[in-house]
Amino acid sequence: MRLVQIVLGFLAVMAFGLAAEEVFVVGLDAAFPPFTWVEQGEYKGFDVEVMRKIAELQGFRVEFRDLPWATIITALAQGKIDIIASGLSVTCERAQVVDYSLPYWEVDQAILVRQDSELNAITAFLGTVVGAQAGTTGYMWLEDNLVAKGVPVELRAYETYDMAVRDLEIGRIAAVLCDTDTALGFVNAGRNVKIVGIVKTGEQYAYAVTKGDPYGLLPRLNEGLRKLYELGIWAELVAKYFPGRAVEPVPLVPNDPCR
Amino acid sequence: MSLFSLWWEALPSLLVGLLEALKLTVFSVGLGFLLGWILAFLRMYGGTVAARVSGAYIEFVRGTPLLVQLFIVYYGLPELGLVFSPFAAALTAMALNTAAYQAEYFRAALSSISQGQVLAALALGLSRFQMLRDVLFPQALRLVLPAWSNEVVYMLKSSSLAFIVGVMEITGRANLLAARRFRYFELYLLVAVLYLIVVFGASSALAAVERRLRLPGLGTEPARPRMA
Amino acid sequence: MGDLLGEWFGFLHGVGVTLQVVAGVMAFGFLFGLGLALTQVYGPRLLALVATSLERTLRGIPVIVLLLVVYYLPWDLPPLLVAIAALGLCSSGYQSQIFHTALRSVRPGQVEAGRALGLTDRQVLVHIVLPQAFRLAIASWANEFSAQIKETSLVYIVGVAEILRHARRIIAYTFGNSLVIYGFTALIYFALTRAGNAFLRRLERRLAIPGLGKPLA
Repeated sequence: MRLVQIVLGFLAVMAFGLAAEEVFVVGLDAAFPPFTWVEQGEYKGFDVEVMRKIAELQGFRVEFRDLPWATIITALAQGKIDIIASGLSVTCERAQVVDYSLPYWEVDQAILVRQDSELNAITAFLGTVVGAQAGTTGYMWLEDNLVAKGVPVELRAYETYDMAVRDLEIGRIAAVLCDTDTALGFVNAGRNVKIVGIVKTGEQYAYAVTKGDPYGLLPRLNEGLRKLYELGIWAELVAKYFPGRAVEPVPLVPNDPCR
Repeated sequence: MSLFSLWWEALPSLLVGLLEALKLTVFSVGLGFLLGWILAFLRMYGGTVAARVSGAYIEFVRGTPLLVQLFIVYYGLPELGLVFSPFAAALTAMALNTAAYQAEYFRAALSSISQGQVLAALALGLSRFQMLRDVLFPQALRLVLPAWSNEVVYMLKSSSLAFIVGVMEITGRANLLAARRFRYFELYLLVAVLYLIVVFGASSALAAVERRLRLPGLGTEPARPRMA
Repeated sequence: MGDLLGEWFGFLHGVGVTLQVVAGVMAFGFLFGLGLALTQVYGPRLLALVATSLERTLRGIPVIVLLLVVYYLPWDLPPLLVAIAALGLCSSGYQSQIFHTALRSVRPGQVEAGRALGLTDRQVLVHIVLPQAFRLAIASWANEFSAQIKETSLVYIVGVAEILRHARRIIAYTFGNSLVIYGFTALIYFALTRAGNAFLRRLERRLAIPGLGKPLA
């Protein structure tokens, strides 16, 4: 009898706990400052804080999980995570397997070279070795616009942008292509690199959920973004993580990624 | 996209990667073969200091993971000014690794040939070099062949580690293809199938060589090969 | 380098996780490998054939590829489980081969003698074949054990917080010192494989029965 009581009690607590709060797993690649990183086991960054604030405003709870970038879309498509919040650009390929929130950020691709390098935006991609993180829009741009068109350039895929920049600094590669804000982050952190050019890709970052949005998250994320902006929290966060960057109203107007 | 059209689409790129894996295997086993003989000789006939150094090297390499050795070469050595390309780093780490294992197989083979044969050869007036070339080597190579074939297969499989430092061998290519198509499981499955085919092919070929070279009455060497 | 102590605990924790993985892998590999070996030696013909091809398949796929295949299965398995399942499958291929050889080197005459004495097949297996086979297998098994300690370094790629992952984390936020930290990591593995080998060699001596030979390699 005791046992039955304990089991029933346990079930009641479980049911209560479940009813009280929904918990969603947010996948991120904790190596993409200033959007995401990890410090002493704690998740930090713009996207992390935005997610926490939206969850607070919309009455759910989030747990973060660190995943290798290249695999993060697959993990969401397979339902291993519920949301991606990690500086994720909207692309046509990705839109086939996940659903996006309204966009909240705009970036282009920056060309990084060593500080002492004489390469420019053109010569950085001629007969050189260029690095980018595997599975990023930067890497895809290199594949689609250089390699596929016969430009003599060798690509090298990295697990994280940090590793690519490290190889750039020691001279193993000649250039790195990465999102503009991330590139600025490396320059501002005092790494031995500089930006020699911008590739205008006009990408938009958005949060992503599993295809079909099984938990009805998209309206809540969009509403959360809108509220953050109206309450002025958005401007505070932009100022905190991107000093000097202009604050644009969110959510942004979405571009069609498959145009 | 169905599984087979995905596989069909990925196959050309993966086959190029397979070639890279084979290159890594052949070069590293070849370099390891030379270095392995040197280590084995130093350990057996090199005098106290050389034998100690060679022994310590062999034990240390055999006691640590190939992956950590690869990281030391790829990430560690640049701090000393030695910058390797991914392929060169993988090749160096693999060759240094297999050399230690091969040295042990060679040593076991050499020590299982009776000292009497060496003495007899010298007594017959053969020079030391002739004795090595005509008496010791032909036997030692046959004795070592089973363990050595095993080592070739082991290194073939280990070459898949090279993708971690950016070598575009078969696993690395599958990884990049999957990153755009979001079909990791299916593509790695294809990698597994391709490895199975190549590993079976290589072990059958090596077994055929063993049968071909076998001498009646000559035993197998006693060293325990690593599992492959 | 103020929290050097914290780094130390991190490495110790990593060693703990590595040992967990090794224990899980060896146990999984033992059960499944022994099962495969018994099926090959004593099972009905068709099943034996299946077991043999399974063993050869598991031995033909690189560990890292198997690890990635298991990791990307469409089920949400925790990383530790992924690691143990993948490396365990690989190890069972090798352990099957080890036990297969050991089982074959227990002479068939002993099995017949056991049966003639009225023992059931099960009793023959448990009281005559296995005690000898295990003793014969222990040297190869020790070899596989230290090989698996080294193989576990791979599982950092699926996110298991073992030794190598810890080393990489330190390098990531101290910007460099790769040589020292990977060198130190290598030393830890060296100590582990050494200790494991010494332990198993003692076990082998302890369990040795005079007159029981080495297995046919």
